[in-house]
Amino acid sequence: MVERYLEASVRRTPAGAVVDLRGEIDGFAEEALNAAYAEAEAGDPEAILLNFEGVDYINSTGIALIVGLLAKARASKKRLLACNLSDHYVEIFNITRLSDFMNVFPDEESAIRSSQPSAISDQQEQKS
Amino acid sequence: MTAPQPSGRAGRDAAWRTLAELSVPSEPGNERRATDEVAKAVSPLGLAPGRLEKLKTAVAEATMNAMEHGNRYRPETPVVIEVLASEEDLSVRITDEGESPVLSPESQDPDLEAKLEGLQTPRGWGLFLIKNMVDEMRVTGDGAHHTVELVLHLEDPERGGT
Repeated sequence: MVERYLEASVRRTPAGAVVDLRGEIDGFAEEALNAAYAEAEAGDPEAILLNFEGVDYINSTGIALIVGLLAKARASKKRLLACNLSDHYVEIFNITRLSDFMNVFPDEESAIRSSQPSAISDQQEQKS
Repeated sequence: MTAPQPSGRAGRDAAWRTLAELSVPSEPGNERRATDEVAKAVSPLGLAPGRLEKLKTAVAEATMNAMEHGNRYRPETPVVIEVLASEEDLSVRITDEGESPVLSPESQDPDLEAKLEGLQTPRGWGLFLIKNMVDEMRVTGDGAHHTVELVLHLEDPERGGT
């Protein structure tokens, strides 16, 4: 087995920042994950999308790291989104209730669509 | 080390066969070695992909707990893993050399809202994940070792078979 330490890079889109994740999200991922989130947040986007397309392993320590990012996003009133999780990790996001606090999308396109200004105002109207 | 017989429903009335016995040094990251070996060992059972992923997550979390809390990440102290199967069940038994069990199946579930508010540490998901990934989890100990047994019921129609 070859360990795949996390690699993370940040892209800007009109709808917000996208953090592309590749590798494993475990205790070794803390520095890379937090650095990428800080870089994404630096542009003061309304939304930050975590793209899990290249992630094949998340353990309980990784869940804790994601909880930490979610706490930061809530504190700064940013939307934290997730996309491209495997079915197994979608279930884990449901079980842990992470998906109650961060919207989970099947792909980047649907996540970005939800972050467009019209989609956000539609969601706000639905909530009010 | 002599391992006790699998317990519970299956242990009472089933004949067990050993699919694998392995050990991993207690070093961070070695839970992945354990999951890969267990996945290889259970491949003849033809578990559905979703069930296999759940088993791998449970094995990884239980092995991490054993390495960290049981063996204090002492590399020379291995975590021993046995994979057994009967007609009805799959049992994975993960043993460390901790003096007392650190996992209690009755532990309170983590509270995500409290974690997000900073009232609880963000950590503490391991046992919760294990309990949600397998059909049964049992913890036993004899003062010198403790063992977490993970059980999947095979051919469970409510879960879509194996």
